[in-house]
Amino acid sequence: MKTTCEAQVTALPGGAVIRLSGDVDGTAADALTAAYDQAVAQGDPESIVLDFASVGYINSTGIALIVSVLAKARSQRRKVVASGLSAHYREIFDITRLSDFIELFPDLDDAVSQLAAQAS
Amino acid sequence: MTSVARGAVRRLAAFTVTSESGNERVALARVAEAVAGTGLADQRLDRLKTAVAEATMNAIEHGNRNRADLLVDIEVTQQGTNIVVTITDQGGLHEAGTAEQPDLARKLAGEQSPRGWGLFLIRNMVDAMDVTTDGTRHTVRLTMATTTPADEGATRENHL
Repeated sequence: MKTTCEAQVTALPGGAVIRLSGDVDGTAADALTAAYDQAVAQGDPESIVLDFASVGYINSTGIALIVSVLAKARSQRRKVVASGLSAHYREIFDITRLSDFIELFPDLDDAVSQLAAQAS
Repeated sequence: MTSVARGAVRRLAAFTVTSESGNERVALARVAEAVAGTGLADQRLDRLKTAVAEATMNAIEHGNRNRADLLVDIEVTQQGTNIVVTITDQGGLHEAGTAEQPDLARKLAGEQSPRGWGLFLIRNMVDAMDVTTDGTRHTVRLTMATTTPADEGATRENHL
């Protein structure tokens, strides 16, 4: 099945943003992995923002992909935060306990402001 | 399990999807269309949609083992104040109902696969999930009340 997931990487001082769009499901693996690797290669970020504002669907395989990214980031001592989740997917992040490990922000501006404050 | 109110049964939809990856999205959309107008609140509709997609994925992958020639049967009924969705595959005795409880800390430590969230999500999204098999066909029955429980919004861990 063809992926609808796209991931755009932007470098920030001390961090990076991965803007996701489309569906975060099993077909998103290559896009998400490549985006993470690109974010790391661009600037060895302390923090990575996963922005879900343009994501319409996340399934259990997508949750597994996010778990894999989080595990990799933690092993490299990088912080992962998330922004732009709908109320439904915030609930899923709570139920799965992802929100215990990934700080959630209402939108990308809030997340970036927080990272900027920490970096200064 | 939450008790299921009994009442008149009204069929809202009955359809099949072939066992091909991605058809869970077709099922999700058809069920959402079928329950429009039943009074199911948006938040509970989102939960039902996630449960239907995950149960259909399980039926395609584990029940029918991605064999495109095998169908997944889906029926949507309204039974009193409940929406009931049944999802049936040809997987017979497969053990889709007994997967290991996912533990995020263990997953992050590499002690458990990152996968394995499907059944966990289904159980936490709906008011009741029942699994039956006749040895040939395997059916997951999802029940969702159209009324909103007073404790809605609290964690659903207690339903496990």
